[in-house]
Amino acid sequence: MSDSTYGRPHRPARRREIADEVSAELEFHLEMRTREYIARGMSPADARDRALARFGDLARVRKTCREIGRRKDDDMRRREYLSELVQDIGFAMRQLLANPGFSVVAIVTLALGIGATTAIFSAVNAVVLRPLPYPEPERLVFVFNFWRGGLGSVSAGNFTDMAAEQRSFESLTAIQFSSFNLSDGSGAERVVGLRATAGYFDVFGVRPALGRGFRVDEDQSGHEQVVVLSHGLWTRHVGADPAIVGRQIRMNGLPYEVIGVMPADFDISGGTEELWVPVAFTPERKAMHDEHYLTVVGRLASGVSRSQAQQNVDAIVAGLRRRFPREAGGLVMRVEPFMAQIVGDDRGRLLTLLGAVAFVLLIGCGNVANLLLARGATRARELAIRSALGAGRARIVRQLLTESVVLALAAAAAGLAIAAWGTRSLVALTPPGVPRLEQASVDGTVLSFAFALAILSSVVFGLVPALRAARTDVIDALKEGGRGHAGVHRDWLRSLLVTAEVTLAVLLLVGAGLLIRSGIEAGRIRLGFDPGGVITARLALPEAEYTDPARVEATFLRLTEETGRLPGVQVAALTSGTPMAPGGGSNGLIPEGKPLVPDSIVNTQLRMITPEYLRAMGISLLKGRGFDSRDRRGAPKVMILGEAAAASLFPGQDPIGRRVVCCEPGPDGKSPDYKTVVGVAADVRSRGPASPVVAEFYLPVAQVPREAWTWVQRSMYIVARVESGDPATLLPALRATVARIDPDVPLFNMRTMNERLVGSLAAARFNTLLLTLLGAIGLVLSAIGIYGVIAYFVTERTSEIGVRMALGATRGDVIRLVLRQAAGPVAAGVAVGLLGSAAATRVLSAQLVGIEPGDPLTLAAVVLALLVTAIVASVAPARRAAGVDPTRALHLG
Amino acid sequence: MAHEAPGMMHGTLDALILRTLVTGPRHGYAIARWLEEATDEMLTIEEGSLYPALYRMERKAWIEAEWGTSELNRRAKIYRLTPKGRKQLVAETEHWARFAAAVSKVLLPA
Repeated sequence: MSDSTYGRPHRPARRREIADEVSAELEFHLEMRTREYIARGMSPADARDRALARFGDLARVRKTCREIGRRKDDDMRRREYLSELVQDIGFAMRQLLANPGFSVVAIVTLALGIGATTAIFSAVNAVVLRPLPYPEPERLVFVFNFWRGGLGSVSAGNFTDMAAEQRSFESLTAIQFSSFNLSDGSGAERVVGLRATAGYFDVFGVRPALGRGFRVDEDQSGHEQVVVLSHGLWTRHVGADPAIVGRQIRMNGLPYEVIGVMPADFDISGGTEELWVPVAFTPERKAMHDEHYLTVVGRLASGVSRSQAQQNVDAIVAGLRRRFPREAGGLVMRVEPFMAQIVGDDRGRLLTLLGAVAFVLLIGCGNVANLLLARGATRARELAIRSALGAGRARIVRQLLTESVVLALAAAAAGLAIAAWGTRSLVALTPPGVPRLEQASVDGTVLSFAFALAILSSVVFGLVPALRAARTDVIDALKEGGRGHAGVHRDWLRSLLVTAEVTLAVLLLVGAGLLIRSGIEAGRIRLGFDPGGVITARLALPEAEYTDPARVEATFLRLTEETGRLPGVQVAALTSGTPMAPGGGSNGLIPEGKPLVPDSIVNTQLRMITPEYLRAMGISLLKGRGFDSRDRRGAPKVMILGEAAAASLFPGQDPIGRRVVCCEPGPDGKSPDYKTVVGVAADVRSRGPASPVVAEFYLPVAQVPREAWTWVQRSMYIVARVESGDPATLLPALRATVARIDPDVPLFNMRTMNERLVGSLAAARFNTLLLTLLGAIGLVLSAIGIYGVIAYFVTERTSEIGVRMALGATRGDVIRLVLRQAAGPVAAGVAVGLLGSAAATRVLSAQLVGIEPGDPLTLAAVVLALLVTAIVASVAPARRAAGVDPTRALHLG
Repeated sequence: MAHEAPGMMHGTLDALILRTLVTGPRHGYAIARWLEEATDEMLTIEEGSLYPALYRMERKAWIEAEWGTSELNRRAKIYRLTPKGRKQLVAETEHWARFAAAVSKVLLPA
């Protein structure tokens, strides 16, 4: 390595050597000087003293020289190391090019694994890891009502009182989702927006890009006709007009002044809410403690923790319970972190996917490790020569690892293309609803992840083969004709790799299998209604023109009648909420006979319906009767209960004829208002087949209290069942009907029930698809791994097989021998995999419907799949083994 | 008789050592003795600076070292000049010549 002609340059290896040498050198000098003085006639002792004195501070010189010596040594080492590294990298690249078969297989395997993992990571990064686009997002919290085990909305009264008394929040806001008619002369557009209190923009801490947020005085009844637009709406509706601030737009029939526009990245929910108006509570509303419909978000004051805020809220709640025993009797409120609520289930799903794709990468690494082990055997001579030339074992391992790293980095570069494509596909194909997913891209963070993943993978697949190869017995390998001791002692490592791969494949397949079965079970679940041939569409009547509840009711009923008369319509009806669609509120019911205290309340979803609704939706009436023309305003008030509600209110009894308190005070304004149960309807899976049944009850539209129209914000669904064919064909006629009644009211959220059904299952289906795909890839890679190991086994044992055949073994015996070789590690892998799946699939239990993680049918199917795969993978090598010619085989031995 | 030389700058000491090694490889003591003889004992190298200078120059690759056997059959660290060191010597010599000429102009005007 040096071009010195003076022999090898002097190079002390360690600090102690350097120190010793310095001492020796200086000592030599002193010796010589002492001799000089002795030669001049001094005594040895005096000579020595004189020499020392002349020298100066011996200790300091020694120290200085040692220091410089050390630094020089460090310099030299660093240079050597770098030059070795450059050498190794060059050698590694040449190796890859010289062995194209190996290189291509290894790079493709790793590129797929690294690329896929990186793609999923970019989604995880965008949705889960990146902080929200607000300043100090960790200080944002939700404040929910906590009722009977679930988080729910807050009432205006509770919010107002809490906002006044609280001491732990820097700002608080109450939000209500609402939809708005934007009309600009050329038609109406339906837009979802938020009604929020004045503190909204302070809570999120983001300034509008144009203009300003609400002033406190605008958050009052009578002054609230101002609006802040989202970036998307600003672009779409007013053409990104930079002078929009101060101008007016028309919403819900009223003029609103545009006071601001939010920046483009303010939106985290994929463009759901597009404008903000002040909620402007009236003084009456601020005193209402029993209608819960607001979402409350707060920013913790600096230095205040969530638990401290919780304590503060608990104290306020205790006060509310005291002051309002009727409305706030069982009140409990919870402070929850903002991010976790926003991301919700998606976090678990994405992380599960990341784990699954990492498994696939690991299996791929296992295959590459196997390839490297095989190559290590063929490179025995080369490595032995290196060793004989003086390369230490560590040096050889370092070189081999460098080769692995270069391989992995090459694969990562190829994998980036896959990652980019994979990320785009993921964004395009994932059903909507995952917050911020559309922002996923291969950015700096993701690139760093891919790089780190490549390095990590190279250690995983490269370390053990490198250690193995470096342990080559030099003499053995250099022997003429020596094949090295491949054989026996390497087998256990390969078998271990097969076992590991099979274990991972089992875990993936069990996960995928459980999800598939769950999907099938979900499809079998009784929905409680008949989605075929039904279309639903939503519309909301604007407050400005429809202040009179009688007019609202009349308009909706007229719409229902006209829809019923459309050609092709079998039956039409109205409802405040259809299954698997947003909307609808809940009310508390108390059965007659129970004391009128909050503990007796059964929280139930309200559906305001016209009498044909049950027939239109295909919901069976189990007992009693449906609503009919008897149930008019002024007639005795009636309700229909869903099965679950009936069971909660009147367990074990017949609810028909019984009475229930709900929804409004009686005629005198104080005493409870009873309604009589006239029918029981079959349970409806309103949130989709994967969710549990929700308790529901029905009231006839003709009898609902006037406040009910405010509860639903004058928004109802029109439901139409067609006699035959695709209900979507009804849409133009429906739109026309609505336009005839009021041209400024748009129809929106128009879907057939089948579309809604598919939509509610979409996320789960997509997840299952991905996991199944990963499981399949994992299985294929494991099959390749098994094939590789068995093929190697046959090659290595060719002479042994020849001997056996010469001694009388039949083809069948040989095939059985080979298959048995595969059976061991595969069986071990299946066993470990099944054990592991018990724990691992607990992760999935939240997503499973109708089956348990330990479902025996799924496990049996997976075991069968693995066995078949192992046999298929072993067939080719087994047949090759059976075709061995004993004479040739023995000759080769 | 030895006169104490004023504190020598790094550069000067380095140049002297390099010049010494032009005559052949030597160990540290031999370098010190050669310089004393060559200057008729007028220049006494402060030995405390000699060895650090040698180590510094070895790190800069102006000189190389090897352990060999000295006269008296003792092991000693022997230094020799490298091509890089030779170039450095030329540069230092020129620099010194210019320096000396400048000083002479002032102190010994013609």
